[in-house]
Amino acid sequence: MKPAPFDYVAPATIAEACQVLSEAGGGATVLAGGQTLMPLLNLRMSQPFIIVDINRIPDLKGITRADGGTRVGPVTRQADALADETLAAHLPVMVKALSHVGHYQTRNRGTVGGSVALGEPAAEMPATAVALGATIEVQSARGTRIVPADEFYLGPYMTVLEPDELVTAIHYPDWPSGHVMLFREVAQRPGDFALVGMVGALVADGGTISRAGIAWFGMGPTPIKARQAEAALVGQSLSGMDADAIAELAVADTAPFDDHHASAEYRRTVGKRIFARTLREALQVKEAA
Amino acid sequence: MNAEASGINAARYIGERVLRKEDPRLLTGRGQFVDDISLPGMLHCAFARSMIARGRILSIDTAAARDVPGVHAVYTAEDLAKVSFTMHTFFMVPTSVKTPTLAEDHVAYVGEPLALVIADSRYIAEDAASLIEVEYEEEEPVVTLADAKSGPPVHPELENNIAGQMGDEDVDDELEAALNGAAHCMTQRVIHQRVSQSPMETRGVLATRDGPEELTLYITCQSPHAVARWVSLALGLPQAAIRVIAKDVGGAFGLKNHPWKEESSVIIAAMLFGRPLKWIEDRYENLTTANPAREQDITLRIAFDGEGRLVASHSEYDLNNGAYPQAVDEGMAAQMFLWSAYKLPAYGFLTRGWYTNTTGLAAYRGPWAMETLVRETALDKAARAMGIDPVELRRRNLVSLADQPTTSVLGLPLEDITPAECLEKLVGNFDVAAFRKEQAEARGQGRYLGLGIAAYIEPTASAGTMGVMTGELAQVRIEPTGKVTATMSTHSQGHGTATTMAQVIADRLGVPYEDVTVFEGDNSRGGFGPGAAGSRQGVIAGGAAIRASEMLADKVKALAAHLLNASPDNIVIAEGMIHVEGAPEMSRSLGEIAGIAYGEPDRLPPDLGTGLEIQYRYQPPPMTFTSAAHACVVEVDAETGFVKILRWISSEDCGTVINPAVVEGQISGGLAQAIGMVLLEEMPVDERGNPTAATYKDYLLPAVSDIPEFEFLHANTPSKSIGGMRGVGEGGAIIGPPTLVNAIADALSPFGEIDVLELPLTPSKILGIIEGRDIAGTEARREAPAAATQESAPAAEPAASSEPAAAPAPAAETKIDGDWKMLMKTPMGDQEMTGHFETSGSAVSGYLASPEGNQDFAGTVEGNVVKFDLKVEKPMKITLKYNLTFEGDSVSGKVKLGMLGSAKLSGERI
Repeated sequence: MKPAPFDYVAPATIAEACQVLSEAGGGATVLAGGQTLMPLLNLRMSQPFIIVDINRIPDLKGITRADGGTRVGPVTRQADALADETLAAHLPVMVKALSHVGHYQTRNRGTVGGSVALGEPAAEMPATAVALGATIEVQSARGTRIVPADEFYLGPYMTVLEPDELVTAIHYPDWPSGHVMLFREVAQRPGDFALVGMVGALVADGGTISRAGIAWFGMGPTPIKARQAEAALVGQSLSGMDADAIAELAVADTAPFDDHHASAEYRRTVGKRIFARTLREALQVKEAA
Repeated sequence: MNAEASGINAARYIGERVLRKEDPRLLTGRGQFVDDISLPGMLHCAFARSMIARGRILSIDTAAARDVPGVHAVYTAEDLAKVSFTMHTFFMVPTSVKTPTLAEDHVAYVGEPLALVIADSRYIAEDAASLIEVEYEEEEPVVTLADAKSGPPVHPELENNIAGQMGDEDVDDELEAALNGAAHCMTQRVIHQRVSQSPMETRGVLATRDGPEELTLYITCQSPHAVARWVSLALGLPQAAIRVIAKDVGGAFGLKNHPWKEESSVIIAAMLFGRPLKWIEDRYENLTTANPAREQDITLRIAFDGEGRLVASHSEYDLNNGAYPQAVDEGMAAQMFLWSAYKLPAYGFLTRGWYTNTTGLAAYRGPWAMETLVRETALDKAARAMGIDPVELRRRNLVSLADQPTTSVLGLPLEDITPAECLEKLVGNFDVAAFRKEQAEARGQGRYLGLGIAAYIEPTASAGTMGVMTGELAQVRIEPTGKVTATMSTHSQGHGTATTMAQVIADRLGVPYEDVTVFEGDNSRGGFGPGAAGSRQGVIAGGAAIRASEMLADKVKALAAHLLNASPDNIVIAEGMIHVEGAPEMSRSLGEIAGIAYGEPDRLPPDLGTGLEIQYRYQPPPMTFTSAAHACVVEVDAETGFVKILRWISSEDCGTVINPAVVEGQISGGLAQAIGMVLLEEMPVDERGNPTAATYKDYLLPAVSDIPEFEFLHANTPSKSIGGMRGVGEGGAIIGPPTLVNAIADALSPFGEIDVLELPLTPSKILGIIEGRDIAGTEARREAPAAATQESAPAAEPAASSEPAAAPAPAAETKIDGDWKMLMKTPMGDQEMTGHFETSGSAVSGYLASPEGNQDFAGTVEGNVVKFDLKVEKPMKITLKYNLTFEGDSVSGKVKLGMLGSAKLSGERI
């Protein structure tokens, strides 16, 4: 478990990083927190010619308010994001989801952007970005583009990122204060990737749901937006809701798989239950309030 | 007279939770593991390994690897063959199938080492290893137990895939009648998954040739003495030339009893290359190619009378041994102990180990643990079926102290086992009735609580029954400074033998614990000991340390009495001081007396030699039993199939407890592994023989958050060994699995029974039981039980049997008289012997000659069939019943080994 030989560069600016990626012609890999990349290098499952370490680029770090939302620099450590007051005030569900990412120790090194960009289908960060309607800012020597999170993921560890592109920010739109937070994850051990999980937010105006953003993780090759359930929820009154029927719709959008930790049938069965349970609990809280 | 009686306040250390001597070193990062050692000129090794599970090697091209800058050599089997080497088992005998270090002409499992690269760094070695090109002629692998039964032999020189077999292929008619005629008869099938041995410190060795025949090995192991002995035998070197050092070890569990293919390759390479070579197994190698454990399939039938008393039982047991097991496991140990703690009148079994194209098996903490798992889970199932409380069912059937001495159904003598007493202590400290009330209320709210109870006995401290399991040596010295050093034959795997041995010595010598230093972990210090294997060191080395300390105390008293003009009976040693009863002004420090003992021979009594040092080798009773009963409470989430462990109580009887914290640490560690095996851990192997959990992302070890706070009750029935200790190293891993399974099964009982217990019980499987459907998809994939596949077992008959049946040869034509070379396949390995036969009418007499000596026999001959009985003392008193058929120049037959079932014998005329 020692990596194959590689060159190492640590650019100081985004432009410099993009230049290296552009010149590498697909032979470079970006190193952020390294919580996935380092094991892959050690197992020689990843053998890049160049490692582009983006940890020394100040512009890629930190959480700020911007454009009616929250901008998260991709190299922000998960532990820093977890302790961030802006995030806690505007996106409490992000904080909830971050507390399930890996372990205390790995969050000190792991980054929000690293997790978003990697696209592990059972991870919390990609699904949270999809659920909340985040957009991903991508730069290369060719220019900048903005990709909606729900168009970013193509398959397990596969995204629309081109080999010369770098994630430079994740923009999370604001959800009105008092929005309902949804999060539940079923994992064999705390810190494991989910067997099945769901994350999202709801806005209720005068007893009726006006906005819904929900996504699954561990339920298919990518994070999966529960579009049918979202559509059914918008316009629903809090009192007359059939949570089981909506959970059924939510599962209909998924494509789970068998692995030796859980079967697809397990994921569907339990997914539907946790979806309904989470919805019920969240809305009861809302109604009581 | 003793310290208490004298009124002198002597500190006692046996039974105290003293702080561990090892911890300051380990907790500040100053432990010394193999990878911490660096020698001048040292180079690093990496292996190229087989990508396929079975096939012939057509070519290995190492040219590109040799060209990598920084590579010094690339060795294949051909290179290593320059050093004579024979792979040995744990029992210090050659393996039953030839086990190469690096694969020779064929590969037999994925990950089998093919070539060894020696380079400046591990990085370069891995770069070069990845450039080695191997051409194979791939063959269909034999992966599962079902494959082994129907597939071609893994080892072409064998007729089939049976690595070892004991018991009877046909169920005895009387036993079958007893099973079928009983008031209740039930069946329990357990399929145990393959598990990885995951010591924190992976395997590793640093080997250096110090002279033409001198080797120094830094190797992570369970006993430096055993490794030196093993390497000496395997390489044919004088043992004196081999020094083995292993100061700290990060866990072993059975994996590190002796070197295996990788370590042996590095040792041979170091001899050939002449520079120190280091290989540290990485975690990927450890998970996928270090010897795994378990992977077993057992079907147990149990019959009860109308009152729930055991009537008869039968089991059929199969174990996947992989291609090259460290020692063949045909499951006999499990059979031996399956019913030993229970009053069962009749038992029969067939137990078989199978070769497959997977990594070879090694012993793993409680290698025979299946017996407790299948029995205790079956008893709970039976209790529910018969409507008897599980505790009550055990009360009716367990052997209690009042029943002893007695013998088990397989003839094992029992004198002081206490599982029934442990169970009573357990239920005395856990209100079962209150729990049942809580359980009923919870069910009303849709919450599913379960209580699991299990009981067992564990054979520990084996000594003298198998050649490699010897006594232990304590060498205790009071140094001229008055401080105490002891050199022990023990070895710590992290479990603190330097602490417990120091406690024992301080206690019996009368010195402060802080003044005692224990040395171990280096075969150039101290005498032979098998080390950490079989829950033995506390008992045997503890006894040795006690007796040596007492003998040394006697010498100190004799010297002090002489110097102080007092009677030895009036001398008391306490806290490092020597006191004379009733004369406090006479007290002297131990240092003062020691100074005289070493340096002033003129002041010593004439019959007392100089110095203060004693050595004592303790040979304990052949086996010491530990007993326990555990209880576990769980809650199962009926929506998700998740199990939460709410409470776990251990009630164990390990006799005298030297240090409760160390005992509880041992039990906790075993229970953590038990929880892993029941709920989380699994090393899946795909149909091509690839182990598919290659990292800890997929191989789920229990984390601290998965382990509850255990509660402990210690019973203290002293054993018959010096000090009264009983072994406690493996128990948690043995009793833990059925305790947890029983709790889960109890919680699930409103939904139904766990039909076939297939571990691990993943959330998918548990939800499937709750909902009565195959959610996990495992039932569809499951192979039929052993009994059903029996008829499709490969025809193991020699080719001759397919020829037209010849009329039995007339007796006169087969000459029996003379000498025959014969081989008997026994649980302890193959036994070679020479048989000398002389017939006279219908009588036959002669002797069997083996390295252990000659034994005379007398029996009968009928045609070409010879029958005779032989009584043996080892490994236990049994009568061997030989039934041999002579045909031409060959002889074959069966030997009934009493409780051990039967063994096959074959041979030819000399």
